[in-house]
Amino acid sequence: MIDLRELILPKDQLLPFLRKLKKESRLIAPVQNNYGDTLFTEIDDLDAVKIDLCHQPQASLKPFLLPQQEILASYRSDNKGYRFYEPEEEEDTIYFGVRSCDLTAVLYTDLVFSQPVKDSSYYKRRNQSTIITIGCNQPFSNCFCEATESGPYLEYGYDLQLIDIGEAYFVSAGRSKGADILDKWSYFFRSVEKEDREKRYQLLLEVRGKFNKNIQVSHACRLLQEHEVEEQIWQQLSSRCYDCGGCAYVCPTCTCFSVDDTPIDSNKGLRLRSWDACTSAGFTRMTGGHNPVDRRQHALKRRFLHKLKFDFAEHGKPSCTGCGRCIDICFGGVDITSFIRLLVKGERA
Amino acid sequence: MKEIFIPDRAVIREILNENKQIKTFRLELLDKTHPFSFRPGQFLMLSVPHCGEAAISISSSPTALPLIDLSIRKAGKLTTAVHALQVGDEVGIRGPFGTFFPVANFHGRDLLFVAGGIGLAPLKGVIDVCLFQQELEENPVQQITLLYGSRTVADIAFSQAIEAWRQQGVDCQLTVDIDELDWQDHVGLVTDLLKPELLTKDTTALICGPPIMIRFVIAQLSEMGLSDTAILTTLERHMKCGMGLCGHCHLDGKLVCVDGPVFTYAALKNLHVMELN
Repeated sequence: MIDLRELILPKDQLLPFLRKLKKESRLIAPVQNNYGDTLFTEIDDLDAVKIDLCHQPQASLKPFLLPQQEILASYRSDNKGYRFYEPEEEEDTIYFGVRSCDLTAVLYTDLVFSQPVKDSSYYKRRNQSTIITIGCNQPFSNCFCEATESGPYLEYGYDLQLIDIGEAYFVSAGRSKGADILDKWSYFFRSVEKEDREKRYQLLLEVRGKFNKNIQVSHACRLLQEHEVEEQIWQQLSSRCYDCGGCAYVCPTCTCFSVDDTPIDSNKGLRLRSWDACTSAGFTRMTGGHNPVDRRQHALKRRFLHKLKFDFAEHGKPSCTGCGRCIDICFGGVDITSFIRLLVKGERA
Repeated sequence: MKEIFIPDRAVIREILNENKQIKTFRLELLDKTHPFSFRPGQFLMLSVPHCGEAAISISSSPTALPLIDLSIRKAGKLTTAVHALQVGDEVGIRGPFGTFFPVANFHGRDLLFVAGGIGLAPLKGVIDVCLFQQELEENPVQQITLLYGSRTVADIAFSQAIEAWRQQGVDCQLTVDIDELDWQDHVGLVTDLLKPELLTKDTTALICGPPIMIRFVIAQLSEMGLSDTAILTTLERHMKCGMGLCGHCHLDGKLVCVDGPVFTYAALKNLHVMELN
């Protein structure tokens, strides 16, 4: 892909640049908290916190763009009838320090929530967002984005992408929102020299060599198009699923949700959307108790097939972005990489 | 942008007691500025104050608009709350959603409806619209047959509609699972009524009922030689949005709310569906 603009941001200009951005909009960036967890956090005072670009944020942008619980509408039910009201407006928000895998997940979510109908609540928030990513020069321990083609650097989809080339960041604008920012704050930047470009290319080659997990994602996707998965694999995985939903909650592309109404008092209440997960028993259970999914056998089937079989068939890409978060969260050890390993091993046997 | 989770206001104009567990709610939209239309087989998301939403099939024909019937069995929290509502009370509706029975393709065909219990609800509008068109069209639907199974005599629903259909020439055959003293008609499963002589070369079958009934009826029709594309059924799944977003009704790469709920047997055959296994 061709970027709209390319510029160099000297590292000592980063904070002044962010200060300018923060004046005009809400700023969200990874910050390490007192417990040592790095999480995307709204920044009130740039001088009071340290933006952490050394650790992988433990959660993706999902909690911001598709909150764990959000108000879709409020309602009143009284002697004047039963009426619904629109939720409040959203603020302009800049997300800084987003990893390639997580931006890829946002692009996937954009797609999911644009068809067959446009999800108004999601898009209100998304349209107000500007995303500034940072390419990864060192994969984290569970990363396999090279296998899902969602990193370590991106070629499109970001508003701005920063690549750390040592003394400075190589900055590319992939969308007009990003280009507008560069135009507006051009005095923080210098133009790109031949050496900058070479440095960036060299770093990309180096980081590609640093991935060592060797998860055969595309091979698994193709196998799934042609073959049924052995029942024994599903059973083996499902027997170690404890129905905690952790994998789906940390997954940046798990977007399934529930909608429920919660009364505030006898006359009014809220219509809430919350995260839901196909790994939970209640996900498919119908009124009266019947469940079309046999949990003991198929607790994880839908999740893995959706990401690797059906999304691959529909979009030409799996909806796993290789962020590796489900690997640490699953205490049964039945994350997506263990499924891929079993599948590929079964084929060789 | 239109808020997609905000329903339109509808008022209950009439309530019919179909049996002890099933009531039909005859609704009318309050806001007439947006045109509303639907096709038989489609469903609505029904909002009930403080209870949230549930997917409910429309049980009337578009010819009855602006009135819209929802036939609801009392089963959970929301449906229990609906059953407590009175004429004049308001509910919310979103939709219509999903695929429909292709009534336009039924010209000149014989229709065989097979239903169990509340499963007659999504088929009812098809029968009504076909009867309505019989009088108007040059090449209308030919013979209409309904095989309808209920657990007990008291469970028989839609008696009023069945009586009206009989008067209009529909061959309505009823059966109950459990025999009772005053019952003069057939006793046994609905599949007992499924005789080869009911099928013609122009038969299309429309099936809805409990999953196990759907399975056996499809198997029997298939064995009797009905083609996979002439067998239509409609599925019920847990749904939260009705619009292909929430993921609950995902079925082997399809979404029951968008790609269904009405499927041909030819389409269902390739999916892992509990109704067939």
